[in-house]
Amino acid sequence: MNRSRHHPVVRVTHWVNVLAVTLMVGSGLRIFNAYPAFARRGETFCCWLAGRTPVPRDLTFGGWLAGARNWHFAAMWLLVVNGLVYLGFVYLHGEWRDLVPRRGDARDAWEMARFYLFARKDHPRQGKHNALQKGAYFAMPLVGVVLVLTGLAIWKPVQLAPLTDFFGGYVWARYWHFLAMLTLVLLAVGHVFMVLTVDPYSLRAMITGGYSERLSPEARDARPFYHLLPRRAPATPAPVAPAPVVPEEVGSAAGGPADAAPPEAPPPVPDVIEPPEMP
Amino acid sequence: MTPLDRRAFLRMGGSSLAAALLAACNSRGPSEAKGLLRWAERRNESVERALFRRSSLDTPESRVLAGPAIPSYHISRAVPVWDERTRGPWTLEVTGLVRRPLRLTLPELMRLPRVTQRVDHYCVEGWTAVTEWTGVRMSTLADAAGVLPEAKYVDFDSFDSGYHESWDRESALHRQTLVAYGREGVQLPPAYGAPARLHSPVKLGYKCTKYLTRIVFLPHRNGGYWSDRGYEWYGGV
Repeated sequence: MNRSRHHPVVRVTHWVNVLAVTLMVGSGLRIFNAYPAFARRGETFCCWLAGRTPVPRDLTFGGWLAGARNWHFAAMWLLVVNGLVYLGFVYLHGEWRDLVPRRGDARDAWEMARFYLFARKDHPRQGKHNALQKGAYFAMPLVGVVLVLTGLAIWKPVQLAPLTDFFGGYVWARYWHFLAMLTLVLLAVGHVFMVLTVDPYSLRAMITGGYSERLSPEARDARPFYHLLPRRAPATPAPVAPAPVVPEEVGSAAGGPADAAPPEAPPPVPDVIEPPEMP
Repeated sequence: MTPLDRRAFLRMGGSSLAAALLAACNSRGPSEAKGLLRWAERRNESVERALFRRSSLDTPESRVLAGPAIPSYHISRAVPVWDERTRGPWTLEVTGLVRRPLRLTLPELMRLPRVTQRVDHYCVEGWTAVTEWTGVRMSTLADAAGVLPEAKYVDFDSFDSGYHESWDRESALHRQTLVAYGREGVQLPPAYGAPARLHSPVKLGYKCTKYLTRIVFLPHRNGGYWSDRGYEWYGGV
């Protein structure tokens, strides 16, 4: 496998995004803690049940309100510029095809969920990503757009009043901003969990680009914590004495040099990775 | 480089990144970033100034007046009160780069064209409130004093232990920027900045000097109490 799984632009923007989102969430939570509620003064707010509970300090960044605001309003440019580079690249370079929802994705996602829940034995067939992944990776930039727009709406509620009004006014825009942040954090936590427990090899793919189809979750029938190791490779063809040049076989007219190798179709391998049964 | 080295490098890089993230919890971030943050603040200011329109007006988002639900802040230990017996009558000075410096007593201020407006108040902490203010437009005072064209900034000074904040001229002359002496139908109470205070929906609350004493038109910016302590100088809404 010499072609990298992710284009360098995707890899770089991915990690820059990790940095930007971490800074934005940390500083944003510190800003939230200055007034950990949504109600306008003198009024109540229907849809917030946590009262005035602040976020634990160790989840915040910036140290104090002004520090957090300075970080938030600086890192927002990193987030926006990096996001635009990513979206522009994905659009122009064609990667969007792996991410945009298509008909049948809902059913495929359902099948993936059934597979993860052991309601289905074999891993559903997939392209570059499975349907659940596709949904998550498609949703993240959308949530990002909502975050940026609601962020602008509460940054400039007078100068950008039409935008703020679109979200239902300042109080609601601030609420949507918070909920969108929660959504993004949940998606990111789920993403990291699945990377670590289903496809840790994708970490390498996102850093150096290297990946082998033999290690893909589909090839391993991988569920969280299951089949983390690659299936044992099919018995390598024994180094037989230099085979006499085999005359072309039936149907090899279309065969290129690649077809000269012995067929690699793995024989049905028993689940060698399963721990042996306890006696 | 052997593959092992690269792996070791990645592992080290990963763990130091994780360590940096852990260390960053609840911290102010690396001090080396200060210059970068200040640079970003200046860039943001130019964006905010480009977005600013004198015609953009705040329309209150609610019919409910906040009343006493608005917290009142001051930096002095106790609520600052102008004591006429020791300080003489309170006056408001309008000075600096003006043709006719003014010194107005409260009755004189109240004789100037009066405006009552219901607007949002945006606090840097993230809350808002709707309040009704009565007072004189800053632009009225500026016209009365004859502000010179080279006055690009305005400093608003107070008798609250040296609290002041300076503004850009455009925001100061916005038609919803008031020198207010009344709030929700009554004389401005001491907790909210009596005898007169600055208020505007186009700036965050901390830019709106309470316990006002002096309005100085300047050719340059003059920082401010919170601006000098790390809060954004522009503080626009």
